[in-house]
Amino acid sequence: MRKILPYLFLIGLLTGGCELFQDEILPEDGFTKIYNHPDEVLAFYPESVLELDEGGYIFVSAVKDETSEIEYPSTYVVRTSASGEVEWTMAYDWLAPCATMIQTGSGIAFVAMNQQFEAYAVSIDPASGAETGQYALDLTMPLAAYTAENDQLLVLGYDFVTRSSWISKFSSSFVLERSTLLPINTDLEYEVQRHLNRTGQEYPFFIGEYNTNEGAGYFVNCFYNYTLRTVFLDLASLGAEGSIFAFRIEEGISSLVHKNEGIFGLTSYFEGNNYILPDTELSLTSSQNIKDFDSEALYELTFKAPVEALILNSDTADYELFVSQTNSNSLVIYQYAMDSDSLLSTIYKDFDETVEVKDLIQTGDGGIAILSSIRILGKYRRPLLVKIPAESFIPEE
Amino acid sequence: MTAAITASAQPSGFLDHLRIGFGAGANTAQVIDLSPFTIFEDLTGAEYENSYTGMLRNIGNQYFVQAEYYDQNYIIALKPGTYSYHFSKENEVVFSNETIEQESPYLLRYITIPLEARYNFDLQRYRPYAGITVAYSHLLQSNDASNQTFIRPKITAGAVVGTYIDLRAIILDFNVGYRSGLHNIASKDNRFGTGGGTAFAQDDMLLNDLQVSLSLLFSLQKQRRYSNIECYY
Repeated sequence: MRKILPYLFLIGLLTGGCELFQDEILPEDGFTKIYNHPDEVLAFYPESVLELDEGGYIFVSAVKDETSEIEYPSTYVVRTSASGEVEWTMAYDWLAPCATMIQTGSGIAFVAMNQQFEAYAVSIDPASGAETGQYALDLTMPLAAYTAENDQLLVLGYDFVTRSSWISKFSSSFVLERSTLLPINTDLEYEVQRHLNRTGQEYPFFIGEYNTNEGAGYFVNCFYNYTLRTVFLDLASLGAEGSIFAFRIEEGISSLVHKNEGIFGLTSYFEGNNYILPDTELSLTSSQNIKDFDSEALYELTFKAPVEALILNSDTADYELFVSQTNSNSLVIYQYAMDSDSLLSTIYKDFDETVEVKDLIQTGDGGIAILSSIRILGKYRRPLLVKIPAESFIPEE
Repeated sequence: MTAAITASAQPSGFLDHLRIGFGAGANTAQVIDLSPFTIFEDLTGAEYENSYTGMLRNIGNQYFVQAEYYDQNYIIALKPGTYSYHFSKENEVVFSNETIEQESPYLLRYITIPLEARYNFDLQRYRPYAGITVAYSHLLQSNDASNQTFIRPKITAGAVVGTYIDLRAIILDFNVGYRSGLHNIASKDNRFGTGGGTAFAQDDMLLNDLQVSLSLLFSLQKQRRYSNIECYY
């Protein structure tokens, strides 16, 4: 019998490859987690996720309570292990937290507002969730936040007095450095309120930055001059230099990522469809109509689909990723080449219930983490965290 | 290998010691959960039930051909064939006013090559035996997306007991065996890749089984000695 066993293992190796040996595959390499709360009256709207330096993830959600007298959602933060298991949760009275979370040295912060619509950065202890500080940002109705490469914080808000989008830049210690108002010229307070309290359309407000040979700056997707626009701002003055506009606020850009020089990758929605422009040269100093660019329709995506984009860096090559959701309840990842508009792969992850992408980050191991919402049984909206390993993005020879 | 060596040493007697036939039977699968993985995490810290159906509900079947080489009281048997296993994973998701119970059924079909070494006792018409078995299995592809959450190879080992019933023209082999999985059969790469969207995660598991089979065997050379008591001539 001893003589036979090695032959059996040999047969196994020949026919099954190395499938028997899976010791190198760790639980944190890839996982799917749905975070359920037993209270049926709660609806979770995940906003932003961060990977912590010490391992694990922390994500913030807006939580609406049907029975609450306050119409705006409160804040709920979840800390998980590297493999997605819950380590602690914490509920806060701060309202309508917005993406993205902020990493401040060893601390974590999120941007939310009080009942007077005043925006605050709220720092918390990543070990326990305890609130360690609150910093008034001197703007109202926060819609998006962004941590720039030099650890400066940019926050987009809506000023209902001047009917303007309000963009402020802060130091890493939340000291205001510069602020700018982009007049909308029409009253969109009701739309912004419905966005914040999750009773209307959620608009793709976001902030990012670009760096070219001709200079660096920020891009902000916000309401400006009657429309939902992507506005290019000067790095120092925050002055608006160029923009891409669509039809009023019914259409717009849903995600944007800078590739190199004047080349960007973006997605948009208009005329009932979603479109992708994976490799498009944009003018950073003039006003352009999104319809003037060649685009490819993405009919499989949901109506006015939320899309998240990032540049995935790896040892061998960089890739451009767009993550969204399809009409058939799948998360979908489009992987494009960096130096062209070539679609390298499309990855689907199917679910039984409706999913909606909210945030996308690259993880320390070269993979990605996707924060989404999912409706358990089609009715209870809960956070969904999907970790996809780096190997998934290595193109096949 | 033992058979091959014997055959080369005694080429003229090899066929005299060979029996071939076919068989079928039922099995019941037993899932040993090595390390549970859940797709649902409760934000209040509650634990959700995560279990597998019991052996009485996990009835599968097997069909195989059987070839045996016997020498004195020792028998080497090969039983390659199709072995299918049924079992279900049971999950629950708890809400304040309702508990959702999910059951995810699995059907795993393997091409299996079991090798059994038996020692039998000559009690004339009945020849009870006991022995050990090892088997290599290869999971067959199927359209069921959950099939992708398992690795293809499976190696098991165990014990068998049974009896031969000598009916002159044919020999019946009634066999009972318990086989234990020697390794995790879940694919760690695809633990959460349930494809169809069924919301559960695949645990690391061993797949054990209890099999009952009945085979019909034919000697390539008619036996000359059946019994010291009964006479069939």
